Amino acid sequence: MTEFLDLEFQDSVRMPWNVLPGTKSDAANCVIPISAIYTPLKPLPPTTPLLPYSPLRCRNCRSVINPFAIVDFSSVNKIWICSFCLQRNYFPPHYQSISDQNLPAELFPQYTTIEYETTATNEKAQVGSSNIFLFVVDTCVIEEELGFMKSALLQVLGMVPENCLIGLITFGTYIQVHELGFAQIPKVHVFKGSKEVTKDQVLEQMGFFAKRPRPTTGVIAGVRDGLSQESIARFLLPASNCEFVLNSILEELQKDPWPVPSDQRAARCTGTALSVAAHLLGVCVPGSGARILAFLGGPSTEGPGAIASKILSEPMRSHKDLDKDSAPHYHKAVKFYEELSKQLVHQGHVLDVFACALDQVGVAELKVAVEKTGGLVVLAESFGHSVFKESLRRVFQSGDHDLGLSSNGIFEISCSKDIKIQGVIGPCASLEKKGPLCSETVIGQGNTTAWKLCGLDKTTSLCLIFDIVKKESSDAIAQSANNQFYFQFLTYYQHGSGHMRLRATTLSRRWIAGPGSKEDLISGFDQEAAAAVMARQVSFKMENEAEFDPIRWLDKSLIHICSRFGEYQKDTPSSFTLSPRFSIFPQFMFNLRRSQFVQVFNNSPDETAYFRMILNRENVANSVVMIQPSMISYSFHSGPEPALLDVSSIAADRILLLDSYFTVVIFHGSTIAQWRKAGYHEQPEHQAFTQLLQAPRDDADAIIRERFPVPRLVICDQHGSQARFLLAKLNPSATYNSDIPAVPGGDILFTDDVSFEVFLDHLQRLAVQ
Amino acid sequence: MAAPGGPRPGNLPPGYMPNSLANNMQNLQINQPNQPQSNNPTGGVSRPPNTTPFGQQPPPFAGSRPGPPPHSAFVRGPVPPSPSGPPQTTLSPNVAPARPAGPPPGSQPPPPFVSRPLPPGSLPSSMGGATVSLASGSSPQLGPGPHHRPFVSSPPMSGPAAPHPLSNGPPGITMAQLQAGPRFPPVMGSTPRPPPIAAPQPATMLSSGSSSQRPQLRPNFGGRPASASLATTHPGPSSAPPQNMLPPPAPSPFSAPIQSVPPPSGSPYGMQTWMSQQQQVAPPPPVPGLQPPRMFGMPQTHPNQSLAPTSPSLFHTGAAGTAQSKVDPSHIPRPIPSSVVILHETRQGNQANPPPPATSDYIVKDTGNCSPRFMRCTINQIPCTVDLLSTSAMQLALLVQPLALPHPSEEPIQVVDFGESGPVRCSRCKGYINPFMKFIDQGRSFICNLCGFTDETPRDYHCNLGPDGRRRDADERPELCKGTVEFVASKEYMVRDPMPAVYFFLIDVSTNAIQTGATAAACSAINQVIADLPEGPRTAVGIATFDSNIHFYNLKRALQQPLMLIVPDIQDVYTPLESDVIVQLSECRQHLELLLESIPTMFQNNRIGDSAFGAAIKAAYLAMKSTGGKLLVFQSVLPSIGIGSLSAREAEGRSNISAGEKEANKLLQPADKTLKTMAMEFAEYQVCVDLFITTQTYVDIASISVIPRTTGGRVYYYYPFTALSDPAKLYNDLRWNVTRPQGFEAVMRVRCSQGIQVQDYSGNFCKRIPTDVDLPAIDCDKTIMVTLKHDDKLQEGSECAFQCALLYTTVYGQRRIRVSTLSLPCTTMLSNLFRSADLDTQFACILKQVTGEVPSTPLPQVTEQAKNLCINILHSYRKFCATATASGQLILPEALKLLPLYTLALLKSCGLRADGRIDDRSSWINYVSHLSTPLAIPLVYPRMIAIHNLDEKELDSSLIPETVPLSSEHITDEGIFLLENGEDCLICVGNSVNPDILHQLLGISSVEEIPSQFVLQQYDNPLSKKLNGIINEIRRQRCSYLRLKLCRKGDPSGTTFLSYMVEDKTPSGLSYVEFLIHVHQHIQRKMP
Repeated sequence: MTEFLDLEFQDSVRMPWNVLPGTKSDAANCVIPISAIYTPLKPLPPTTPLLPYSPLRCRNCRSVINPFAIVDFSSVNKIWICSFCLQRNYFPPHYQSISDQNLPAELFPQYTTIEYETTATNEKAQVGSSNIFLFVVDTCVIEEELGFMKSALLQVLGMVPENCLIGLITFGTYIQVHELGFAQIPKVHVFKGSKEVTKDQVLEQMGFFAKRPRPTTGVIAGVRDGLSQESIARFLLPASNCEFVLNSILEELQKDPWPVPSDQRAARCTGTALSVAAHLLGVCVPGSGARILAFLGGPSTEGPGAIASKILSEPMRSHKDLDKDSAPHYHKAVKFYEELSKQLVHQGHVLDVFACALDQVGVAELKVAVEKTGGLVVLAESFGHSVFKESLRRVFQSGDHDLGLSSNGIFEISCSKDIKIQGVIGPCASLEKKGPLCSETVIGQGNTTAWKLCGLDKTTSLCLIFDIVKKESSDAIAQSANNQFYFQFLTYYQHGSGHMRLRATTLSRRWIAGPGSKEDLISGFDQEAAAAVMARQVSFKMENEAEFDPIRWLDKSLIHICSRFGEYQKDTPSSFTLSPRFSIFPQFMFNLRRSQFVQVFNNSPDETAYFRMILNRENVANSVVMIQPSMISYSFHSGPEPALLDVSSIAADRILLLDSYFTVVIFHGSTIAQWRKAGYHEQPEHQAFTQLLQAPRDDADAIIRERFPVPRLVICDQHGSQARFLLAKLNPSATYNSDIPAVPGGDILFTDDVSFEVFLDHLQRLAVQ
Repeated sequence: MAAPGGPRPGNLPPGYMPNSLANNMQNLQINQPNQPQSNNPTGGVSRPPNTTPFGQQPPPFAGSRPGPPPHSAFVRGPVPPSPSGPPQTTLSPNVAPARPAGPPPGSQPPPPFVSRPLPPGSLPSSMGGATVSLASGSSPQLGPGPHHRPFVSSPPMSGPAAPHPLSNGPPGITMAQLQAGPRFPPVMGSTPRPPPIAAPQPATMLSSGSSSQRPQLRPNFGGRPASASLATTHPGPSSAPPQNMLPPPAPSPFSAPIQSVPPPSGSPYGMQTWMSQQQQVAPPPPVPGLQPPRMFGMPQTHPNQSLAPTSPSLFHTGAAGTAQSKVDPSHIPRPIPSSVVILHETRQGNQANPPPPATSDYIVKDTGNCSPRFMRCTINQIPCTVDLLSTSAMQLALLVQPLALPHPSEEPIQVVDFGESGPVRCSRCKGYINPFMKFIDQGRSFICNLCGFTDETPRDYHCNLGPDGRRRDADERPELCKGTVEFVASKEYMVRDPMPAVYFFLIDVSTNAIQTGATAAACSAINQVIADLPEGPRTAVGIATFDSNIHFYNLKRALQQPLMLIVPDIQDVYTPLESDVIVQLSECRQHLELLLESIPTMFQNNRIGDSAFGAAIKAAYLAMKSTGGKLLVFQSVLPSIGIGSLSAREAEGRSNISAGEKEANKLLQPADKTLKTMAMEFAEYQVCVDLFITTQTYVDIASISVIPRTTGGRVYYYYPFTALSDPAKLYNDLRWNVTRPQGFEAVMRVRCSQGIQVQDYSGNFCKRIPTDVDLPAIDCDKTIMVTLKHDDKLQEGSECAFQCALLYTTVYGQRRIRVSTLSLPCTTMLSNLFRSADLDTQFACILKQVTGEVPSTPLPQVTEQAKNLCINILHSYRKFCATATASGQLILPEALKLLPLYTLALLKSCGLRADGRIDDRSSWINYVSHLSTPLAIPLVYPRMIAIHNLDEKELDSSLIPETVPLSSEHITDEGIFLLENGEDCLICVGNSVNPDILHQLLGISSVEEIPSQFVLQQYDNPLSKKLNGIINEIRRQRCSYLRLKLCRKGDPSGTTFLSYMVEDKTPSGLSYVEFLIHVHQHIQRKMP
């Protein structure tokens, strides 16, 4: 395992197969695709230098020079040979001084991942535009929520860096675009929510040509193309300039005044509001890193992008409705947001959604726009909830735990010619750069070798899925010749500082083919990465393939993989063993089957969409937590130790800390709970108990601090109602109808789900057939 | 209120007087064949000869007009000698003294005069000289002075009959007298002096009747013309006598009335005129005593205007002296305003009393018929058959002004509350209970005077009848004894709660508006007016501005400034907020003031030149939709974008015009239907739009005016807007607009007795169903013309009733029904129709009809039509009622003798001239559509007075000096003249004006310094004070602040001024004299 982590540390990459099956058929047999989970902006080891110049590129395939390139120092004109296309390239004159003793950083073997910062001349180091935040605020909420929201926003305003530009749109039945740059009185442009607004209308109607005539031809966008800075500065102002105005507007912000009949939902035009926001950014600051922060307090019911009708008696769509295709607004809304996402991607802008309502707000429909732009998403019950408040803070926070928000990323892949790219599952959008590297099989954002990541941060992780196209032929011979596959991932992005950077990661993996390759494959198997890939894959398939049966698919895959890589005698289940490299994989699959990603019917479509969006942007470690929560037990008898994710771990004198990523549960065993209620921890003589109580809190805080979105913290007692957050995640080894009585002080689960043991039994039986 | 009549006696040059006198008929004897006419105009010379001929036949003009003689006589009376020379000149001396003095002396003189009934009226004042004057009468004219004498002598000599008959051609006269007599009788006949004077004349008249009758007649007249007329026909209706009796005693009255008048005037206009008017209700304190006198007064006024009955034959041109036949411009009929306040009882002796002229100053006592202010008919007797009506060629129409401003001395309208059940109504036609419903069967049932149906009296409304057949409680119940009452509406008259008073201000802030100061003017006007909005918890206001976007303001913000809400989508507009855009006044006063102060600066640098007017009013309407209310729009440029945008088609239009006249009038029509559709929608939701157009360019009023027109509003047009002089008017107009008596969400219907039905309504309203008109708002200035048609014969001797019911909501949110009932006698006599024709109403009606045609018909046709309307009436009269006169005479029915003059004025008016700016014409056309009867005549025939000699005159009763005929020959180079038509007020400064006077009046020392923009200021000198007093008085009379403008002879402004000189010959128009000849020729051509 550790070697995989080392690899990840160096290159931000986890691959299920670190030794690749060399041929198409081998790969097919491996069940889990050749893939990689790559975190483009993962902080590099501190020793890695930032190169203040542009990279050398192969003049044939445009890939960037890397440590795997073969460099010929001997010849007069020093030459490097591209590891992807074998093209011979000359070094430019200023590299003349290099030698094998004097290598440029990008050729150091340990710098397979390295970053260039191009202070390109044409980038006028867009000062001030380092980031642009356009707040889009829902006012169709009850006063209390509005109050929470206001205070959260006001707090955030204090944290926004002074040079950031800020804009504000509020909406309800209508959309109010606030003109912050007008001194005399607060000024608002009001759009009707029920009607789609076009970009041209925004241009025409918001007075962009009041002082300067409209250019008769050409695209109009931003200062460079036809608009005056003055007219833009009405809506987007440096935080330092508009703080006062913004504060006063927010303080005066009122609930949407249009009356709502008691049998109806509020008329809320989220879709139009977002579209206006997108137009506004598109008009004012195309191509700059700008984020739309949408604060949604309920479902959209008005205009395009509505997800529910206004009639309260018509319920919101559920998974069941979606399955039966009986959600009348769903497809229309999705289509609308797809268009929106295209526009945003084109403009390079990000949509972040903060959905805070007990009801659904349409995250399922918005998903496409959020995901393709690489936006953040936070789902909470209320604007008063810490999940929302803390997460929002994190967005603007600077320091150790900042999100490292960057923008305008472009991600490109090069790889050896025997490999093709099926696609990317993750928060990105295809740039439709087709080429020979594109596989015919497409998954996720495919058919391209370049993707746009409008927004990306330190943890944004893409799941890249490849195809091996090499036919097995006179393999043995070729094998010896070159058994390395090369991958190169290039990420251009605008760093938080405003500078453009390029990060290049070049990987080389050995491939192997033919009989006898099994051991090598096993040795290179990263079961965590495999689980993460499987999770993304199954989620993707569930969303995109009709009639897809995820359980069956997962089971088949698992059985297949077990029979391929397990050691057993045919038809003897008891003889079945798995290599340690695979040992936990079945358990991952067991938990994945039970997870929120597959068992969607306990959740609303919004929640499912939310979970999946997070899954799709997180790295392997976090994905694994989502799939299979981690649990730590605290007791007087021993220090904190990992506990089995099993109901048997529950004991009266234990405290359990469960981290299921979205929720962190601190579970007090019944005895502990009694002590606590009795107040022992407040007594000096029971300091140990105090510490015992405090330990899981500290650990939970540590988790919460680092995570975005901030997880929900549940502190509960055994037998309490909140305990369900824990119980739902445990392996039901002891249920109400199991034979073995519960351990004293332990617990049983009221479920008919099979336990892991039963699952494993079946697996063994099927795998050996 | 108006002082129109007043000046008459004194003012006018002797010449004038005569005209007025020439009453019944003015016979213009024009010899067509002979060109003499052409020669004459000036011909002072010619006259003399005429006069001589007189003896036999009245020489052309001078002689011809009987009227003149008397007048002149009167005038001269006072100053016999002098007049001859400088008749026309001021006369000031004469005048001033004449009048005031007049009464008293008059009283004395009367006896002599008494003989003559009519002349008196006009003359009264002049009476002093009376006796003599009579004689002189013939000569009224200037030059002839000497001649007069002779005449004079003769008249007296002749006593009653001789003089006139001779001159006028008795035959004609007889007719005339018959008709005229009756009317005028009311005239002054009543007044003391006249009687004496009259006596003689009557005699002439009487030739037909018996002398004995005369006395009776007069008395009658005093009371009601109608009866009088009848009297003439029939030997003697005696009904009136008693009343008449009264009059004589009161010579003094005059003075009194005069006094009474001033008070009302006094208070008005500082700057803020209107206050005074609001106190409509004030009882007439001084009046009571006066009343009797006034009664008489009334009659007098009549004479003035109508001209003395006696002298029907005005213009004889001696048929004989063809060559001589010339029309003396100074003798032709001209309006003679009277300053006397008339006391008018709407019914006397159970008969309808013909109303005083609309333009006169009168006080109404509602004795059964509604006040003529509310409703007046073009003819005060209703023809029994349609044939009779068409023979007369006159219009039959009502002019209804349901909320007309009462005279301060009139009794307030009584409010009757029938409780839950609502007012008693006829169950068939739904007519409201009124004094003419006849109770029968011991009061158990009543017969509807409108449809003839017999209804059961509701039990709790039952009352026994008295011996006279009236209900015993008739006098206690206003609805049974008053022509106008207001019922409290019960639930069944409401589809919702009565709406609150909502005012929404919409202000143009496009570049142009900002730069011309229009925005600032509007904001400041609104800011000042806020204080005048009706107090009340429900009064609400809203405000919005617009350029190419629409900016609303949220006025209901607890902590901070108002919030501007911009509606950018001007193709599909909406209101940006549900509630806080329109806020109760009490909650937002401060915000509003703050906002209004800052709007001009806020948009100071606005560079948006486009105007989304259509979208803006639509958006404002949407904001007001839930309540309805008044939308006051201040607009400065052509609506160029958004819904209902318009093109500058004026430019195309110009080329069209030059290309050929074919489509020229298209420009006066709305460009398309968008705005009309919108307006209908507004009306449906009770939104009334008033447009204040403060512009310096073409704004296509023809198109945008559709909106106010359909919603019961109006267009105020300030062109070319200047920040210096217009804001004051803007403010005053706005202030009057919101403070004048008015109502909201109104529905009006007029019902008529069987036999007559409403043909059509015209005015500013929205009509969805044929019988009713919807008025989102109605105010005291709005008049609706209701044309009538016969659907059956009426019974002679019966009465025909008209009932106008207006259901409306007061500004304080009460639902009311104002019901005005007018019952008029029916007649089969054509002569009665002519006698009872109401000139002012007739003309208002013609004005409205003709104007209505302008946008849809090529101009030449329209003018032809206007001319024909006049000619046909005169022809009818000539043919059927003046058969005895020589064919060479132009004989005018006394009541309508000014019709040619007004028609001529109409032809020369702004709306009917092809050379005017399209917008000016459109605005004029719009103004006419809601114009009230009293303002109709001044609009085309403005009032002109001299103001350079103010200090020389002792102004009597009214502040306003006597008027000057609208002829450039009266405009001297040394003079300063003020001309006003109810909207504009031009002051023309002659080139040789005494600089001292100039300085005192206008604060400038020489003519050269005349500023292009003028603001009236009051300087500390009597002249200036007087001028201000006069202008304020005019403002009060017209309920309009007037747009003041200085003109100087010889430059373009002077040309404008001259264009109002309707009696002049112009390149495209005839002079008055020529026109008379023209008319005469046409009539003759028609005669078999």
